[in-house]
Amino acid sequence: MENFRRVQVVDEDDGQPLPFKNLHPDVVKMRVKEGSKIRNLVGYAVTHMLSEENGQIVFSAYGRGVTKAVTCVEILKRKIGGLHQVTKVQYKIVQEVWEQKGPKVQHPAPRLNVQKNYPSINILLSKEPLDPQEEGYQPPQSMALKETGKRFPLSHSEHCAPKKKTEESEGCY
Amino acid sequence: MAEQKSLPGRGLHTRRPAPRPPRSPSDIYVNTKTDFRAQLARCRQLLGAGGLREVRVHGLGLAIGRAINLALQLQLSHPGTLLLSPSTSTVELTDDLEPEGGEDMEPGARNRNNSAIHIRVYRPQGE
Repeated sequence: MENFRRVQVVDEDDGQPLPFKNLHPDVVKMRVKEGSKIRNLVGYAVTHMLSEENGQIVFSAYGRGVTKAVTCVEILKRKIGGLHQVTKVQYKIVQEVWEQKGPKVQHPAPRLNVQKNYPSINILLSKEPLDPQEEGYQPPQSMALKETGKRFPLSHSEHCAPKKKTEESEGCY
Repeated sequence: MAEQKSLPGRGLHTRRPAPRPPRSPSDIYVNTKTDFRAQLARCRQLLGAGGLREVRVHGLGLAIGRAINLALQLQLSHPGTLLLSPSTSTVELTDDLEPEGGEDMEPGARNRNNSAIHIRVYRPQGE
């Protein structure tokens, strides 16, 4: 692949509905990516949840962003108590187009279509109660139980996963 | 899995291994070092004919993506018969700090949090 470069990424799932039932019409979808800043994501989410009466918010991420999405959800749950949660995992299909590069390439350059299946996560947080029978439902946690044994109040940097760049080489991607 | 890491100005810094609650044969702790296909094969065997009705796949931090991948691959290998029920949590980790500057300084410890995912992979009732 050294002589190819990625020229286009097509998100197949874009525009498809989220995998949750009975969603609020004005639900906010947060697309968490690898480079998203947790303080920006959580800052926006906290303002939204505090301003709306029946606020609902969905964090969705794929590939290397999933850890960050889970972290955001955990921080938000601790900042705003009493949130109901439904978590769904699925594969996300992404089409990529790679084009040959280099000095001796005929015109138009040969292209490759690559289909990738990334593991993805969608997490719905809601102030209103959700269906407890649904797969992946989590009731609100009691705050007193979670907060014991904490030396510091919540801070973002503490919660971040250690910065470690690891290339995952899995045959099933 | 304790790792030593040197940060400027903070001395040596050792990560304690993550706390592991008592595990039963149906609890799978996913890490980023074990070969993915071996982990998948182990889960398939557990869920195979005459095996368990349910396994729980746990992933911490960077292994969350792998845990999701493992659960989804399991679901694909048993089409239509397995349900996934994920939940998320926070795990508290402890780092031991060894200050430079001689013997007179007390070694400290610092707590930090990391995110974790727990996926219940199970066969629905009545099958």
